[in-house]
Amino acid sequence: MFELLSFGPNGWGGQLLGGAAMTVAVSVSAFALGLVFGSLGASAKLSRHLALTGVAEVYTTVVRGVPELLVIYLLFFGGSGAVMAVGRIFGYEGYIELNAFSIGVLAVGLISGAYSTEVIRGAVQAVPHGQIEAARACGMSRWLILRRILVPQTLRYALPGLGNVWQLTLKDTALISVTALAEIMRVSHVAAGSTRQPFLFYTTAAVLYLLLTTVSTVAFERAERYANRGVRRA
Amino acid sequence: MHRHPPTNPNAPEAVLVENVHKRFGPLEVLKGVSLTAREGDVITLIGSSGSGKSTLLRCINMLEVPDEGRIVIGGEAIGLKRARGGQTVPADSRQVDRIRTRLGMVFQSFNLWTHMTILENVIEAPVHVLGVPKAEAVDRARKLLDKVGILAKAESYPVQLSGGQQQRAAIARALAMQPKVMLFDEPTSALDPELVGEVLLVIRQLAEEGNTMILVTHEMGFAREVASEVVFLHQGRIEERGPPDRVLVNPESDRVRQFLSRHLSGAG
Repeated sequence: MFELLSFGPNGWGGQLLGGAAMTVAVSVSAFALGLVFGSLGASAKLSRHLALTGVAEVYTTVVRGVPELLVIYLLFFGGSGAVMAVGRIFGYEGYIELNAFSIGVLAVGLISGAYSTEVIRGAVQAVPHGQIEAARACGMSRWLILRRILVPQTLRYALPGLGNVWQLTLKDTALISVTALAEIMRVSHVAAGSTRQPFLFYTTAAVLYLLLTTVSTVAFERAERYANRGVRRA
Repeated sequence: MHRHPPTNPNAPEAVLVENVHKRFGPLEVLKGVSLTAREGDVITLIGSSGSGKSTLLRCINMLEVPDEGRIVIGGEAIGLKRARGGQTVPADSRQVDRIRTRLGMVFQSFNLWTHMTILENVIEAPVHVLGVPKAEAVDRARKLLDKVGILAKAESYPVQLSGGQQQRAAIARALAMQPKVMLFDEPTSALDPELVGEVLLVIRQLAEEGNTMILVTHEMGFAREVASEVVFLHQGRIEERGPPDRVLVNPESDRVRQFLSRHLSGAG
């Protein structure tokens, strides 16, 4: 039975490993993109511009309120539809399918960003105002305050929440398997079908996800410990 | 006992506050206050809570922007303009940033940056705002920390220090910018009584060295010792001003007399 999981000619080991690498690649890219969306969303929500706050509010409400699979379908099918419409304007009549990886990263990134927005917004608000005031009183510019004081202090409050978002993002990438991108879920689904050993392969997939989440939990704990230097632990 | 020499009328004006008004919503906290600090002056602002003394101090370095009036620092007037919403804002934030480097501020709640060591706190603005080479900034910071008596704590984080030590570190942080004027906003009000003395000792030393300082305080005995001028605020206006031996001993205003009797008996 374990020959099926080996790296030999009859084994799925190599493909599973490739799937795990793809899952990590999509997760990391989507999480990073989510942090960009999240930072933009949080600054929009904290700004005094009504239009900006409105856009961010619609973004987080819609993306968090709609099933994640639906967001992926909408982007995947709507995305190629939109590109084809543009293609037709320029006289191209063929079928265009978007790159599954990019669409996957964009879709999961959008979802991840909606949750990050709320985490980052809360963390920025948790930074004591005196920390910023002391920086202004020294003549620090807004950009310098952002870089040297606000971001490091925000990270301290945001990391536990972002650790959560990371785990959600990692698991959301399983939904991308519907676009046939060869990540863990897709590879185990294909392997399960062709070997008629679904339990074996889905268990392996579960173990792979658990490995990834366990390793990343340790990484986040380390990051938290660093961000919380100079804070007395209760 | 040391007494601060009276104001030298020929010294250049370090800080000029002209007819400053400040409103918070419907509440007018400052109703036209003017103040001059010449180089070497130590001005203490006293008054009950809500009299506007902290707001006045915070207007000097634009942590609060006055609705009306003028602030001139070392001969340079801070440009103000009306924003679309009608509120007053600085015309040029870079000018404000530059002027703030010449004004050292010490807060009631210290506000040391909690993610940095004491030494990092002290070198942060000299290195990143003034562009002082790091080695030189560290050297200067160590001397300042030694001066305020906490050199041994240079590598500690703020949370590991007592309130008095944190406030002395905050004073060192402000001094590291080599400011022309030091602003103190109730520097001992957040401290346990037994820690007040060590902070006052440092501030007194700065006064004796001839630093220009504006100080909001509730420590009347200290104000009498270090001040060249005492300014009493009441409901957003200056009620009385003058040398400490007059204002704090024989005030003309009944309000000041009442305030002093409450404070001297209350504080013991």
